[in-house]
Amino acid sequence: MLKIITATCKELILLKRDRAGLLVLFLMPALLVIVITLVQENVMELTGQKSTQLLLLDLDEGELGINLRQRLAGEQIEIVAWDKQLKTSVDVEKAIATGNYQVGLIIPAGSSVTMREAATQLLQTTVQSGNDQPALRLYLKVFFDPGIMPGLRSGITAQLQMALGAIAMEMKIENLGKEIGKLVTQLGIPQDALPIDNLSEHIGQPLFTLDENRDGAVDSESPPYNPVQQNVPAWALFGMFFTAVPLAGSILQERRSGIWIRLASLPLSHLVLFVGKVIAFVVVCLCQFVLVGLIGAFLFPGIGLPAFSISQNPGAVLLVVFLSSLAACGFGLFLGMACSTYEQASTLGYTAIVASAALGGVMVPVYAMPPLMQELAIISPLNWGLNAFLDILVRGDALSAIWSDLGRLTLFFFLTMLLAWNLVRARK
Amino acid sequence: MAETAIMKSIDSCTLKNGQVDAIAACSLMKRYKGSGHQALNDLSLQVTKGEFFGLLGANGAGKTTAVSLFSGFMSPDSGTVSIMGMGFRRDAKKIRQILGLVPQEIALYDQLTARENLLFFGRLYGFRGKKLQERIDQCLEFSRLTEQASRLVFSYSGGMKRRLNLATGLLHLPEILFLDEPTVGVDTQSRHLIHQQLVELNQKGTTILYTTHYMEEAQELCSRIGILDAGSIIKQGSPDELLKQSDCRNLEDLFLQLTGKQLRDT
Repeated sequence: MLKIITATCKELILLKRDRAGLLVLFLMPALLVIVITLVQENVMELTGQKSTQLLLLDLDEGELGINLRQRLAGEQIEIVAWDKQLKTSVDVEKAIATGNYQVGLIIPAGSSVTMREAATQLLQTTVQSGNDQPALRLYLKVFFDPGIMPGLRSGITAQLQMALGAIAMEMKIENLGKEIGKLVTQLGIPQDALPIDNLSEHIGQPLFTLDENRDGAVDSESPPYNPVQQNVPAWALFGMFFTAVPLAGSILQERRSGIWIRLASLPLSHLVLFVGKVIAFVVVCLCQFVLVGLIGAFLFPGIGLPAFSISQNPGAVLLVVFLSSLAACGFGLFLGMACSTYEQASTLGYTAIVASAALGGVMVPVYAMPPLMQELAIISPLNWGLNAFLDILVRGDALSAIWSDLGRLTLFFFLTMLLAWNLVRARK
Repeated sequence: MAETAIMKSIDSCTLKNGQVDAIAACSLMKRYKGSGHQALNDLSLQVTKGEFFGLLGANGAGKTTAVSLFSGFMSPDSGTVSIMGMGFRRDAKKIRQILGLVPQEIALYDQLTARENLLFFGRLYGFRGKKLQERIDQCLEFSRLTEQASRLVFSYSGGMKRRLNLATGLLHLPEILFLDEPTVGVDTQSRHLIHQQLVELNQKGTTILYTTHYMEEAQELCSRIGILDAGSIIKQGSPDELLKQSDCRNLEDLFLQLTGKQLRDT
């Protein structure tokens, strides 16, 4: 045990003295998580996973605009109203074209009056036979940022149409109620015998409710999906696996100098030295995760991003971090023994880690990949780690849901360590 | 069965006049993977306790391979090695407690100080507390680096590194010491100091196996030498005996007479 502590302390001192290497190990995941999260925040705006900003220029300033705002409130649309005294429809068009807002809507002057006239005219056309007046139509101008996804565009159009349709329907029912009231009075029936006053309210009640069923034990306290909850663990994981290369480098440095021969002449197993290295680099990985987590928790809210949180199950998160670190270190040991030079280890290591990250869903979610790649994702250790993180942090699952991923990470560590150990013996 | 055969082989190599050799190698063969070259070819050697044995050879003659096999760093393709009558297969841990190795390359961590290097290797040898501090101080004194003990090895001169490299191999007071060309690239003063200390160590009873291609060094230090060529010992004996037998003026002439003048590392 004391020999393992000695080997660990030596590794930690060497790491501490390699300031440039250490800086890269911590700076790289920190920088990646900030940049990628900011980029994805923009992507989420464009795909509708985040509330969409609708720029409204209400030149009418009547009941239509007020009604429309009320109906869109609570949806994933954030309305930004511009003052008609200061802005024109050309300004709105420009703001949308430059991507400052995703959607622009202009309500022309006199729209509310036209809407009432159109509703009245429609009723008259219906109840008075022989009235062939052409129907009045109201035109609202809508603009879309060319960069937004077609799905989001359809969604917003549908939401606007639903809101406008509901306003129009309400107005038609109101007019119909008035007309029925007149007829009832003419027929001598008491007004309160029919619910004419609340007619639009009664008719407007929905008949169907879409009940969204999310599988599994979803914790109601788990934060909603956002790029921070995905990116912080994903890029921390990426950084952790990058430590495999410096770990391999430390072995190669010993192998290429006389140190390896001297160590082999000592009355101890190379396994002790391996364990010492693993402990030291697991400490580095834990520090990396803490740093990236702190950035997510405290820096992100300051720059307008949601805060990262592990409050649902910190113990499970730490277990995932620990086992992912072990897997990364196992890979480092294997690289250090399988390669002959640092150049070989870094090329092979970085390529394998980037490929594994891409395949594992760190860069693009696995569900967005082609079917074949989704099948292949299962072979990536980063996929196991990321899945476990997302199960805990996003899906709100319990520890029992991630045992298979944790088992794979552990198995990967022991397998790579065993391979490295066999290479030590084979080189004798 | 294989174990018994090995033990018989060790016995036949080591037990002479009832005395166990410090180092006994018997018919060692070694070829590196992917190389057509036989690094060691039927090498047999006995070094008695307390002897200062020099293994002389040109570059590529097999000196480092021989030391790697003697110290258990590598295994032979065939043949046996025994240290104080013990084989690596059964008694590796015991052998490593009594064996010191000073590799040809500097076997130190550049980014640790001399004291930290000694502390690390000392703890791995199992030393603790006061005993460890004593050994570290003695090794620093031995290598004349007490005042530079807190400097990173990275900043040392070649001679300082060589001296510390040697001292690290002596940390655990080994009974047998393997030195693989320990004075390569060292200035005259450092070489002189290293020679002086090695002689003192040998006088105190440490068995030394010393590889070199500097003939004058071998003549000055060694009680017995073996000339290694193409992986085999072609001649062995005390320097005086060998010179008498061959009528050569010095070991260099003898070496050239035995191995020829053509380059050996091509």
